[in-house]
Amino acid sequence: MNPTPVPLTFRLLQAATPLLFLMVVLVFGLLEPRFFSFSNLQGILLQSTATALVAVGMTFVLLVAGVDLSVGALMFVGAALAGKLILAGQPVALALAVMLAVGVVGGTVNALLVTRLRLIAFVATLGLLHVGRGLGLWITQTRAMNLPDSFLQLGSAQWLGLPLPLWLLSVVVLAAWTLLNRTPFGRHLYATGFSEEAARKAGLPTRRIIGLAYVLCGACAGLGGMVALAQLGAVSPSFGEYYEFEAITACVLGGISLFGGRGQVFPGPILGAVLVKSLFNGLVMIQADPYLFPVITGAVIFFAVGVDSLRARWLQRWNQRPIYLTDPV
Amino acid sequence: MSSAPSRPAAAAWVTPLRSWAGSDFFVLVLSAVYFLILTPLAPGFASTGNALSLITSLLPLLLLAVGQTWVLVSGGIDLSVTATIALTSVLGGLAVNEVSGWLGSGPFAIPGAILLMLAAGAGVGFLNGLAIARLRMPPFMVTLTSLMFFSGVAVWLTQSQPIGSLPPTFTAFGGRLGWALPVAALLTWVAHLGLSRTVLGRWLYAVGQNARTAEVSGVPVRTVTVCAYVVSGLLAAVASLFLTGQAETASPVLGQRMLLDVIAATVIGGVSLYGGQGRILGVLFGVLFIRLIDNSLNLLGLNFTLILMTKGAVILLAAWLDGWRRQLARMA
Amino acid sequence: MTPVASSHAPVRLQFDGLQKSFFGVPVLRSVSFSVRAGAITALVGENGAGKSTLMNLLGGNLTPDAGQILLEGQPHRPRTPAEAQRAGIAFVHQELNLFGNLSVAENLCLDGFPLQGSPDAATSSGLGWINRPALQLLARNRLDLVGLKLDPNTPLHRLSSGERQLVEIAKALGRHPRVLILDEPTTSLSAPECSRLFALMRELRSEGLALIFISHSLSDVLREADDLVILRDGAVVAQGPCRDFSSQQLITHMVGRTLEQLFPPRDSKRSLRQDVPCLEVRNVTQPGIVRDISFTLHSGEILGMAGLMGAGRSELARILFGLDPHASGEIRIGGELARPGPRGRIQQGVGFLTEDRRGDGLSLESSIADNMTLVSLPQLARTAIGWLDPTTLRQTVQTIRESVRLTATARDEQPVKTLSGGNQQKVVLAKWLLTRPKVLILDEPTRGIDVGAKYEIYQLIHQLADQGAGILVISSEIEELLGLCDRLLVLAKGQIRAELPRAEFQQERILAAALPA
Repeated sequence: MNPTPVPLTFRLLQAATPLLFLMVVLVFGLLEPRFFSFSNLQGILLQSTATALVAVGMTFVLLVAGVDLSVGALMFVGAALAGKLILAGQPVALALAVMLAVGVVGGTVNALLVTRLRLIAFVATLGLLHVGRGLGLWITQTRAMNLPDSFLQLGSAQWLGLPLPLWLLSVVVLAAWTLLNRTPFGRHLYATGFSEEAARKAGLPTRRIIGLAYVLCGACAGLGGMVALAQLGAVSPSFGEYYEFEAITACVLGGISLFGGRGQVFPGPILGAVLVKSLFNGLVMIQADPYLFPVITGAVIFFAVGVDSLRARWLQRWNQRPIYLTDPV
Repeated sequence: MSSAPSRPAAAAWVTPLRSWAGSDFFVLVLSAVYFLILTPLAPGFASTGNALSLITSLLPLLLLAVGQTWVLVSGGIDLSVTATIALTSVLGGLAVNEVSGWLGSGPFAIPGAILLMLAAGAGVGFLNGLAIARLRMPPFMVTLTSLMFFSGVAVWLTQSQPIGSLPPTFTAFGGRLGWALPVAALLTWVAHLGLSRTVLGRWLYAVGQNARTAEVSGVPVRTVTVCAYVVSGLLAAVASLFLTGQAETASPVLGQRMLLDVIAATVIGGVSLYGGQGRILGVLFGVLFIRLIDNSLNLLGLNFTLILMTKGAVILLAAWLDGWRRQLARMA
Repeated sequence: MTPVASSHAPVRLQFDGLQKSFFGVPVLRSVSFSVRAGAITALVGENGAGKSTLMNLLGGNLTPDAGQILLEGQPHRPRTPAEAQRAGIAFVHQELNLFGNLSVAENLCLDGFPLQGSPDAATSSGLGWINRPALQLLARNRLDLVGLKLDPNTPLHRLSSGERQLVEIAKALGRHPRVLILDEPTTSLSAPECSRLFALMRELRSEGLALIFISHSLSDVLREADDLVILRDGAVVAQGPCRDFSSQQLITHMVGRTLEQLFPPRDSKRSLRQDVPCLEVRNVTQPGIVRDISFTLHSGEILGMAGLMGAGRSELARILFGLDPHASGEIRIGGELARPGPRGRIQQGVGFLTEDRRGDGLSLESSIADNMTLVSLPQLARTAIGWLDPTTLRQTVQTIRESVRLTATARDEQPVKTLSGGNQQKVVLAKWLLTRPKVLILDEPTRGIDVGAKYEIYQLIHQLADQGAGILVISSEIEELLGLCDRLLVLAKGQIRAELPRAEFQQERILAAALPA
């Protein structure tokens, strides 16, 4: 390849999400100096943990060119069951295990719908979203449940100076990264996302690979549900709503292609999740009209996605082989 | 195989079964079977009153699904329709309400409000289309963010309060079946003809099938794409007019839960989420099927949580049947 | 049929009375022949002769209705592609099975990564940790097999199509096959890449591998293969050592009748009108792509454009058709400045048959009728709102499909993906003929098409020129350009290097101009 200098604008576009992130932080920091305080930054990180966990799971599914709209509903079902168990005096560990199990079971159902019944991922997971939401409301009898403070402490407890949710996130991200980049399964996942047909022809067990992506996504949704529950301390009928959109947004901001096969699980989606949450946090701090939050968030995400599309087009032009070399300017 | 031998006639029974399974009427038959099974179980399912309420609740969904079909055929998706409903409803309400309407209560207030709603719907669609066609952003993300943005605007405009005291002449447009039914039928008919009998319709299919081929073949790909989203936005505005009329209030959460029904109805009606396939007739039956389920479950006196679950299950079942019939249609 | 008699080498693979029918229609009728180890066996036949079915039986995609395949004397009955692979059958398909988002090394070892703890043992399961150093080593070894000097960590999407072809072969060789099948391996290769591939094939032959070579390029077949098997209508019509066949005999066997020539006779004086320029290109330059391109295409002329892969021919065609921009220079169509974009060009009477038939020539899922009418829809519409009359459309399609002689068995509403390559190309031609083009740009019009259909397409091109259209033909087959064109331009590195009138057509001169200085 010819070592033509890369234009500055292109380099800026390449780093669009981190730059946008910096911009958001700077703007809020200038408007409200308390935004920069350590406790607030840590708070943002904690607030984004649940979304980041779900986004890690979503990454697997997006990498195989699928989508999972049911994650929020799965979080809700898990939280509803866990809440019942805790209020009935069962051990916390059991409740947490049940949340994870609900995620895995839901993911397995999605996997079966997509790989065995050959439903389109969008429709299959949309159906499970309905079922899950209904199930959760039925379990909770559409009433909110407040959990004891002992449970709430899980969300803020620390180990070696780091809050537990951040430990969980770190472990999950490390595991996901290793799985995707250092095992044959991970590389097969990328290959399947690039072209399912070609992967099948190459003798890869594409059904199992795609299925496993949904199971992993469900498991991550279960973990995300745990963190969200421990932080909120209550199960309301709207628990877990819009997590699917937040997770997809975090992934897209983090450079995961919706068409499969492209993107890295770290740092993109994590950064994307933090960006979305810091936006919320900042708006709260500057005491913006709460009704404007979705408007501003929507606009910022739109901008980020637009920049990303621009970057993809530039990249395409950049990768085009020249037929003859132009004289250096 | 690269070389397909000339296709021989399959076994005698396969052909009629195939053509039936492949036709748009498959979902209609499915709906009829469902109706027959449920009639003895659900009291009042087969009554005239119920039929009227069924049609009333069907019309807005039909318009949304028809608009969605245009977008899906062109290879996109429009998740922002519910936000369009909310935004146009709120704008219409703010313009025409009897307490503090922007347009007062002159003779032009109501036509003005309706025009404003239509323009807003078309405007949202235009912006979606522009971002997708010009900036080449993925339709899913564009319409998702515009869903957040415009429903946010609707909530902000009203500070989350519904707007009441709308003039009866205004609400009658959507609320009274005598108005709504012919308008919806006409729009559906026009959308059907536009898709199946005009150059624009062919272009939509071509863009949805293979945008690169369409571009080389001189199809104005960008214009066609923008058109699809504008139509979707316009029809969402009309649906909003209906829903506002039925509720007799303008609300920023109007139609919030309809997105899933819209997608389900189009997919069951045979529209492909991958673009380039689908017809309005099938979508009409898909809408009928979805509303029939909703309506019957309500009549059965089921808890709303159970309705949610059952609907999810039925959507999955219908999608699976749809895949199965496509396979059957492809056979031989 | 008797197997090839003159075999010193042992028989590696034997087809014995294979039969296969689809829905009662026989596609293979008792096919028998054998493939020797240490030899290149060419398998030729028109599209639909049964080559793909035969290879699908060998590769485990289909099972035979009767007959058997013997691999070194043992029955070979694969039920899945994986089973065939394990038995030692390796395919290199025309459409490469590679992943652009992975590295070369990962592509080479996708079905068996070396793992930690067991660096040599390749496993097909997805579990375990990838041993990166061992992966590098293994990939490097496999690349050495095909003589490719590449960093195994290079992302695959950076490779040229020739390099990709070699990677695909390296992948197949990595499984230590007993039989290697190459299906149309040269369609996307440049001339030097082709000769490199053939050298590799000869080397593999000397190492005792049995190679099956499937190609439409008869000159390649006659030059490179040892044995020849000709299929027609699902049966072996001739077989034997290659040296026993002339090109003419080969064609006669394939087509089942004698074709007078490969090309219809061309009298360029008859249609050419030197005084009527229909496409004038003046100093067109796009940095990095083409520079200073100037030529004139006249009415009734067939102008060829030769050059190596990557010389900028297709890129120039896209610029001429308004799909890609050019920085400077002027394009005139029928004396008038070119209007922007493909739409503008189409309005001025330009048509463009692209190189990638499946990618941007056709909508594969759409029907024959929809594909044929796509460009001319605005003309077929009755009113300003674009109302289309089904009867008009049907009649239009009927007329045009007769004039391109599309196979009569295909229904108008049948998706084009079910057609053979030749018939698909006729659909693309029909699409452009409907617009009555004044200038038609044809990029590789006969790629992957059998001899009979090629001849028909040449006839259509002549017909069009006789009617006064100017035609620009881009082709990688020099014989085709020599047989078809009135005049030739040779492109290299984005520049026109030579212009030759028909009287001066010589393969050597063209090659000399095409090779980068």
